[in-house]
Amino acid sequence: MSNNKSLLTPSPLNPTFRPDVIQSLIDGVDRYNPDNVSILEEYLSTQLQNEEYDLMANLAILKLYQFNPHLVNDVVISNILVKALTAIPNPDFNLCLYLLQEGSLSDDNVSKLILLQQLLEEARYQEFWEVYEKDDTYKDLSMEAVGFDTAIRKVILTAICMAYQTISVDLLRTYLNYPKGDTKFETFIQSQGLTTKDDVIIINTNYDNEAKPTVIRENIKFEQLTKVIGYSNEL
Amino acid sequence: MEGYPEGYEEEIDLVEEIDLLTNNDDYAGVDEDLDEDDQMQLLILQQQYAQEIPEVVKNFIIYFHRNILENNVYELHGIYENSFNRLTEKFYAKTPWPEADYIAPLVNDDQVFLTLYRELYYRHIYSKLTPTIEHRFHSYENYCDLFNFILNSEGPVSLELPNQWLWDIIDEFIYQFQSFCNYRSRLKNKTEEEIALLRDNIQVWSCYSVLNVLYSLITKSRITEQLLVSKHGGDMIEAAGEYGSRTLYKMLGYFSIIGLLRVHCLLGDYTLALKMMDNIELSKKALFARVTACHVTTYYYVGFAYMMMRRYADAIKAFSHILVFIARTKMYHTRSYQFDQINKKGDQMYALLTICIALCPTRLDENIHPHLREKYGEHLIKMQRGEEGLQTFEDLFLYACPKFISPNGPNFEDPNALTQTIEPHHHHAKIFLSEVRHQILIPTLRSYLKLYTTMGIDKLSAFLDIDAETLRTQLLIVKQKSRQQKWTSGTLLEGEYVTTSDLDFCLKQDMIHIAESKVGRRYGDWFLRHINKFQDIIAGMDLRN
Repeated sequence: MSNNKSLLTPSPLNPTFRPDVIQSLIDGVDRYNPDNVSILEEYLSTQLQNEEYDLMANLAILKLYQFNPHLVNDVVISNILVKALTAIPNPDFNLCLYLLQEGSLSDDNVSKLILLQQLLEEARYQEFWEVYEKDDTYKDLSMEAVGFDTAIRKVILTAICMAYQTISVDLLRTYLNYPKGDTKFETFIQSQGLTTKDDVIIINTNYDNEAKPTVIRENIKFEQLTKVIGYSNEL
Repeated sequence: MEGYPEGYEEEIDLVEEIDLLTNNDDYAGVDEDLDEDDQMQLLILQQQYAQEIPEVVKNFIIYFHRNILENNVYELHGIYENSFNRLTEKFYAKTPWPEADYIAPLVNDDQVFLTLYRELYYRHIYSKLTPTIEHRFHSYENYCDLFNFILNSEGPVSLELPNQWLWDIIDEFIYQFQSFCNYRSRLKNKTEEEIALLRDNIQVWSCYSVLNVLYSLITKSRITEQLLVSKHGGDMIEAAGEYGSRTLYKMLGYFSIIGLLRVHCLLGDYTLALKMMDNIELSKKALFARVTACHVTTYYYVGFAYMMMRRYADAIKAFSHILVFIARTKMYHTRSYQFDQINKKGDQMYALLTICIALCPTRLDENIHPHLREKYGEHLIKMQRGEEGLQTFEDLFLYACPKFISPNGPNFEDPNALTQTIEPHHHHAKIFLSEVRHQILIPTLRSYLKLYTTMGIDKLSAFLDIDAETLRTQLLIVKQKSRQQKWTSGTLLEGEYVTTSDLDFCLKQDMIHIAESKVGRRYGDWFLRHINKFQDIIAGMDLRN
């Protein structure tokens, strides 16, 4: 793991898997053409199936909905929000909410997903899983997003890896919602490059969990001095 | 004021009494479909009214018209920024300017001039009086005429206008759009007639029509191509083409990009807003810096969009840049007719800056820090006091946010819509504040962490009077919020996650290890400034000798 880059990465502006059709659509004025909404909605379905995520294209759907309320499809909105949950702590979820109609924040499904968002953002992971598993609506909402559970586990694990250098196995297991004795837990943390020693999981130091005291020194650039050097000519 | 008819200043004082004559509302709201009798009536009214127009205003209009015909941008600059506003103060502080029909005989019925005149006429009504629904509709039609003339004439039009006016055209066009959307959202106190007009004319001031104008200006001027050439090199004349090589088109195209930045922010589409700026670099040399109002607008919306995208460090940079600029140039724009507006925006940006600083503590430029402390110091303290600070966040946000719009207006079929008011700013405030709520306890926790280098979870949770698990949760929030996406190079939307906090920590099971990074004193900046000051003094003394 590289020590000079954060574990967090912004949602890519131009993901490599984005087809050319979509690229030219969202780059130009075609993005406002209501006839194109189905192309973008199909692309969202592909994202859901292939465990891919394209924020900019999904925002373009919400933009079309914003201008053409008759196009609005609640299932699509839920799917976009579900995908945005997997991008936390990126601001994607809120960026989507800003584009929704006033008042739709209190719609049943939207407010349910907002609750999940709050729990994830506030790092209340145990509660997150409790809420998520208790209410069957959530299973329906996230059904189309293949690999949703794993994606959320990765969000949580990233947050843990940013803060901890060592963490007890039991605590991490709870955060990731694996029951005691579930071998999938071992498999998952190994796949993420973590090692276990006794009852403790060791996380290699990285940019975020290093916590090294530093002194930031000022850095004077040559350009800042040009004027002063210029004065010496006048002498 | 070279070339202006002589004795103009004195003339104004002489005709002061004419002020009373113009306080007459009879001419307002002339209907469009007139039968012959009405036509006659209009002609008589026209003649009567023409006599009521003060002589100095008549002369001004004739002079104004001549300079439009001659494309005398230098004179137009003075006419636009000074004379028009001075005459407004003198004669039309509380009444509209004469309707275009009344002055038509003075300018040989020159339709292009009359369209430009109406642009000023309606703008004056919007800024000094209360526009009626007819004003709103007619002003929209007038903008359509103006943009049709510019975009759909055969070949490029030869008109030339000062940059300031071109900016104001785009700026006002969007302002009236926004104003109309808000007007339409409040059906409560409207007459049936007004509601019917709104229902039957949904294309007027529609989002699509406004975006269409802005995008058409961008395409026609080939401004994107021009910006790419100025960045990467190439043949500018070829890139600009027949239209884009004329200042009028080039600047309108450029200002339309800034206009789209604003429109998308008003609609809550912050990524698209910043994407509009893909080909514009934020630097002092950029074209937007030529018109102060445009410069200020650009940074306000860029900063605001960053703030809404949780990129507080980038927002702080944008707001600081423009606030330093405003502070340094204060003495120059006190005379400007836009002084008040710029000051108001500046003050709003101090409020936004305060929000950002509360969420992402940062050292500010010393040119603006004292002012922020004086104006919002108490707010800042409140905002760092946990739950009770939320109200302050909300107050500042609602004071300083742009006037959001709801793009579609009310559903006229729904009887409830008549009594409801759509208030988009509450929608945006609610989402933003939920974001603030997550991190409202961070300042308290930070203040404890600052005191130690190592600390057990149990001990700290006892100090804070919360349970150990809650503390772990809070620590994870602190960690997440201390990383932000920040711009380093490329387009405004690009950026990487970096640490934006001077306080960092890591957890080894139940033990917190805390590290603080300290900023060394910045001597260089201080010395450089004083060397410059000193040099100025010496230069000043040399001059006197």
